[in-house]
Formats: sequence, structure tokens, C-alpha cells
Amino acid sequence: MLEVRHLAAGYHGLVALADVSFGVAAGEILVVAGANGAGKSTVLKTVAGVVPARSGTITFDGARIDHLAAHRITRLGMAFVPEERRLFPRMTVRDNLRLGSYLHRRRADREAPLATVLRLFPRLEERMDQLAATLSGGEQQMLAIGRALMTRPRLLMLDEPSQGIMPRLVAEIFRAIEEVRRAGITILLVEQRLTESLAIADKAIILRTGRIVVAGTAAEVRANPEVRSAYLGM
Amino acid sequence: MTAQIVLQVLLSGLLMGLIYALVASGLALIFGLMDVVNFAHGDFLMVAMYALFVLVAMSGADPLLLAPVVTLVLFAFGAAIYLGIVRFAMRVQTNRGMVQVFTTFGLGLLLQGLAQTIFTPDYRSVDGGIVAGKSVALGGIILPMPHVVGALISLAAFGLIWLLINRTDLGKALEATREDADAVALVGIDRNRVFAIGWGLGSALVGLSASILATFFYIFPGVGNSFVLIAFVTVALGGFGSVYGALAAGVLIGLIEAMTALLVAPSLKMLGVFAVYLAVVTFRPRGLFGSM
Repeated sequence: MLEVRHLAAGYHGLVALADVSFGVAAGEILVVAGANGAGKSTVLKTVAGVVPARSGTITFDGARIDHLAAHRITRLGMAFVPEERRLFPRMTVRDNLRLGSYLHRRRADREAPLATVLRLFPRLEERMDQLAATLSGGEQQMLAIGRALMTRPRLLMLDEPSQGIMPRLVAEIFRAIEEVRRAGITILLVEQRLTESLAIADKAIILRTGRIVVAGTAAEVRANPEVRSAYLGM
Repeated sequence: MTAQIVLQVLLSGLLMGLIYALVASGLALIFGLMDVVNFAHGDFLMVAMYALFVLVAMSGADPLLLAPVVTLVLFAFGAAIYLGIVRFAMRVQTNRGMVQVFTTFGLGLLLQGLAQTIFTPDYRSVDGGIVAGKSVALGGIILPMPHVVGALISLAAFGLIWLLINRTDLGKALEATREDADAVALVGIDRNRVFAIGWGLGSALVGLSASILATFFYIFPGVGNSFVLIAFVTVALGGFGSVYGALAAGVLIGLIEAMTALLVAPSLKMLGVFAVYLAVVTFRPRGLFGSM
């Protein structure tokens, strides 16, 4: 579904990614892990069109999408939830969700994803008329994922969804990610919490200074001795 | 001084204030949406007045009936100016604020020069049509019809803006872009399109106010300067970028202007306005109704 080939990207002359290649098949969860500054977020930002690719290709369903503006990539069915979440803080939860379905004109295309989101995150329903800024960190993350789901994506890209969230809600977020996948949505997940991520992932890649150092199925990556000592603390 | 005179002055000031508010609303809308001050705002007003002048000359129709046409023409004009010029001024990496100021200021000078070339500096006027020369008498209070109709149109326009922002998807997109222009791409919205629509809407409001002003004011290449200063004061008092703040501030300015004319001298009517302006920017720089 998503193919990334020899991708390189950087900011202000600094190389953040060098020669990164991977693929995600429909219905899979691929985890991108690595230490801080390894380039995990840059992978997502480049695929989402927020950061330009310097070289390499990105294809989605066979069509090139590198060089497309971010809003066009969203329209193709790829939703990105950035690490900073980027909600509209002075708008209500309802309006944030409603904006997610901005592209859809048919009533059914708006109501179906809303029902899905509220089933996934029931506490959002209690907060519908609250301003997004007044939500807790975990609720904001739920809203950010909810807003992304409102676009009816086929691929969901999540950047560190567990960051800055109380532990009880982290489990809820991971459960939601699994449920989203069960609904047939492909997921590209950037996470620091490797143990929890590998538990729900099909495949994983581990980056170090902008290059892939380990790649494989979740089981292979979990069994990799270097991963066990450096990332899983075993 | 009788109560009737005071009431007469307050009502006249209220009407003029509502018209000032409409003149300033487009400036406030664009500034609020994207933090760009359109220094050609007054010249947009001038363009709109000449557009009305040409339309009236061509069709012989009533200027107020042509107001919707001028409003649409200005929508297209504003959107085109954004897409053709302002968009590129916003792309620069260094000194962006100054580039925007000089771009729109230069655009204003260009428009004035073009108007001088095409229409000569002569004062023009359109036949005021059905409202011209008429007045409304309420008890002993007499209000000029063009001001009454203009104030009502202004109120209706603010009502429509409210409906647009609060009741439509486009309004939500404008509101979201105003909050975080980079984040709207996450829901598939093209910020450039929203900005172009914002410039279109802001300019359409200028077009509407020009149609009102032309029924009782002369048209000449520098006509924008007569109103743009008040528009800037209105936006600053209202709280930069707040459209409803502009409504309140416009009314306040109309009232202060009228009371200064009555209590001090008609020729010094702007003195009161600028005194209040100075006081507000000194002691409450975010404006009277600004929430920032």
C-alpha cells in the first residue's frame, strides 16, 4: 500500500534521513522505533508531505506522492497525527471532529466515522462542547486521532501517541490503535514504547541516525539481540 | 442644549458608526485570519467606488441595487490580489512583516495611480438613486436616508458574517485556519484556498461599504484615504482581527465623532476619536475588545 524507497530528508542542511526504504501492506501495523533524534518523526513528516523529501520516492497505492502538498496527501486517504497533535485549541471538540470530515459532503460520510470515533473514545462524547484546549493530554490525543479518523483514511500515521499521557490512558490508546486496524485501516506508528508497540505490530523498523539498522516482523525484531539489550532492556 | 439635539447627534453618530464598522470589517477579517494588514484597504474601497461609478454609468441602475454586483466584483478582485501578489509576499523567509507592509502599501499607490490615469483626479459622484436627498423623521429627529439604509445594510452584513462563521463548514475552515494555518492540511484543507477566500470576503465587505458610501460621498483617486484612517483606528480599538470588535468599535467611533462635533466644534470632530484611540493603545494595547 505504502512504499518508501531510498528516502532522504533533512532540515537546514542537516541530514535527518538517509536512504530509508520500507513498505507497509494493507491492514498492517508497522512500527518505526529508535532513540531521540534517530529520524522517526521525520519519516512520518516526509510521508505526510509536511517535510519535503530530498531524494527517493514515496508511493501510495502505486502513485507517487512525494512532492505533493500535505493537504493533497490527506485527501488521498492518509491521515497524519503529529506529535504536537495540532488541534484547534479554541474550538470545541465537536468542531474539531467536524473539521476532520470537511472533505466529505455526504451526510453518511460524516456520521459513520463520527459514530466510530465516539465508540472508540467514549469520553470524547462527554466533552463534545468543551474547547479542545481544556482537555487533558490523553483526551487531546484521543481527539487528534479522532479528527484524523474523521477524514476516513486508509492509512493512519501516528507520531508518539503515548507521549505525555498518564499510564492508564496509554493502554487505552494502544487498544484503540488495535481496534482501528481491525476496522481495516493500515497504521504507521512511531513510538518510543517498543514493548507495547511490538505487541500490536506486524512489522517494525528501528532507525539510528537516519538509517534503518533493524527491520523485520515484530517477532524477529523482538528476538534481535541488539534490540533486546539496547531498546527492550533485557 | 436640549435632549432632542443630543438624541439627534447620538443617532446620527450611531448610523455613521455602523457604516464605519462595515468599512473596517474587511480589514479586521483579513488581519484576524492571517495576520496580514492590508495597507491598500482604502484603495480597495476606492476601486470599489469606481467600479460602482462605472456600473451606474453603464446601466443607469440604482447604486444600491448594484451593491451586490460590486460586492461580487470585489470578492474576485480580493481573491485575485491574494493569489497573484500577497501569496508570494507571504512566502519570503526574511523580514516577512515588512515585506507584507510594503507590498500592500505599494499596491495601494499603484491602484491610486491607475485611478488617476483612467479616471483623472476629478471628483465624481453617482446619482444617489432612491435614497438620495430623502430623510427619515422620528419625532423631531431627522436622519438622512442614505445613512439609515447604510446602517441597516451594515447590520445585515454583520449578521451574515456571523452566520457564515458559526453555521457553515467554510466558516469553521476560516476559524481553524485562523487558529493554526499549518494544521488545516491535516484535515485536507488547502490553506491557500482559505486565505484566497478570506481576501475575497474581506474585499467583498469593502465592496458593499463602497456602495453605501458612494450614495453620499464623492469619488476620487484618494477617496480611500478619507476612510482608511478611521478603519485602522476601528480595527485597533476593536482588538486586532476581531470582526465583532470592529462592529463595536465602529459604533463607538461614530458616537465619539458626533459628540465631539457637538461639544467642541464640527471641524474638530476627529479630535475626540484620535484622543480615545491614543488612550486605548497606550493603556490597553490589545484593543477594547481584543482577547489576545
